[in-house]
Amino acid sequence: MKKIINNSNDVVKEMLQGMEKASPQIRYIKEHDVIVRTKKADKVAILSGGGSGHEPAHGGYVGYGMLDAAVAGNVFASPGADAVVKGIEAVDAGKGVLLIIKNYSGDIMNFQMAKELAEMDGAQVEYVVVKDDVAVPDSTYSAGRRGIAGTVFVHKLAGAKAEAGGTLAEVKAVAQKAIDNVRSMGTSMASCVLPGVGKAGFTLGEDEIEIGMGIHNEPGLERTTMKRADELAKILLDRVLEDYDYSGSEVAVMVNGLGGTPLMELYILYNEVEKILSRQGITVYRSLVGNFMTSLEMPGCSLSLLKLDSEMKELLDAPCSTLGWTQFHV
Amino acid sequence: MTFHMDSKNYMEYIKLVSKKITESKDYITEIDAATGDGDHWVNMNMGFTAIANSSAELENLKLSDMFKKIGKNFISVVGGSSGVLYGSAYLEAAKLTAGASHLTPETLCGVLEAMTNAIMQRGNAKPGDKTMIDSIYPAVQTFRLGLEEGTDLTMLLPAVKQSAIDGAESTKNMVAVKGRAYYQADRSISHIDPGAVTMSYQIGILMDYALEHLTPA
Repeated sequence: MKKIINNSNDVVKEMLQGMEKASPQIRYIKEHDVIVRTKKADKVAILSGGGSGHEPAHGGYVGYGMLDAAVAGNVFASPGADAVVKGIEAVDAGKGVLLIIKNYSGDIMNFQMAKELAEMDGAQVEYVVVKDDVAVPDSTYSAGRRGIAGTVFVHKLAGAKAEAGGTLAEVKAVAQKAIDNVRSMGTSMASCVLPGVGKAGFTLGEDEIEIGMGIHNEPGLERTTMKRADELAKILLDRVLEDYDYSGSEVAVMVNGLGGTPLMELYILYNEVEKILSRQGITVYRSLVGNFMTSLEMPGCSLSLLKLDSEMKELLDAPCSTLGWTQFHV
Repeated sequence: MTFHMDSKNYMEYIKLVSKKITESKDYITEIDAATGDGDHWVNMNMGFTAIANSSAELENLKLSDMFKKIGKNFISVVGGSSGVLYGSAYLEAAKLTAGASHLTPETLCGVLEAMTNAIMQRGNAKPGDKTMIDSIYPAVQTFRLGLEEGTDLTMLLPAVKQSAIDGAESTKNMVAVKGRAYYQADRSISHIDPGAVTMSYQIGILMDYALEHLTPA
């Protein structure tokens, strides 16, 4: 294992310390592995979190215009309910707290337990669950669809709504609207290596890729041979477009790197994605190309499409300032 | 025959589990990589190591307080699914043992039943879902039935252990619907569930420990 670490047991804490030092805007509560804004904002608070290893998610989205707190678990494991409660307490300004949860069994159980505990102490807490990964069938009896890179759009829109003075119900409604309108699909070209494990979770052949791979080494839909960028763009986009009707609409596109794919390749992919979209009469309103929701050093990418209305466009264009996403008024 | 298990005994048992988990790194990681994301061993090992390391403090607590501390430790140190599920289980055990100074065969069985229910409720899962429940649920059934029928503990305790092991083994033929294994539901067939395996280690070691500490009634 070749990793720039000191000790595999310390990776989460040392990373969060580094994040704190890299940004004057955030503070690290080290007892609970929570990142919060340096100055508590007088508005509806938004908290997200989950396993580590997806940076900049989620600590990198704490700051003006996005999150108020991010709670970090161990690598690929949900944070404990008690840490989430501490996060809620740290950011609650009396106007309510919205939890943005990615749909994984562990996250759901811990965040729901945290909501129950915080409510016992009088906090007003609501949550939304992001499930954008079309590689997984949705259903109510099972774990259902995973939450992946589309979550970053939910952070952005809900964050902008809260910053604009939205009530808890309004912020939750915007978050839910983003969730209802976003779909993602990913592919991976190799396993990532968990620092605590030290070796790859699976192996793919020299010329093999996995379509629909998750962001935790969990398998996808099928294994196939390596494709050209134009073919890959079509494979990923077809799945997304089959799942939700984007025809004639304006969209925000995210081409997200999983940690081990060069930006050069992400831009090549985006170039192909844009061509297909414009041929199909889907207008790209905004695009984001980069590493937004990673899976350690995994080579691969995901593609997310968010269907926009006028309110969502305005929220998307609002300024934000975080380690992972900074923009001025567009 | 019977047994009396106090906080000191329980923490001795926890240390034995911690040792077993630590030794099983390669096997657990391997079976977890087949269906999950390969972090089950890391998280369980971290949790049991932390709890075993605080045994000097925990073994002097009342049974109920010890269970509460173990539960909180699981939630905060382990995190993930295992943390909140074991955490919920131990917090339930704490409620059930309020005022008790030690566990008897009857109360230990009651504790395991309460833990099973807490795990099923928190995880919204049932037997057959290819989870740790498939190990603890049949083990508790065997335990309860044996106590009702007055089976000799020298026979019953090994039978409970065997039910836990068989239960874990039975997950090989199940299709996952919960947790990350669900994402490859079909591919999960023929693979044993790692959470069920680590659960079967715990029950096995608990039954062995009780067996070694049997005293005349």
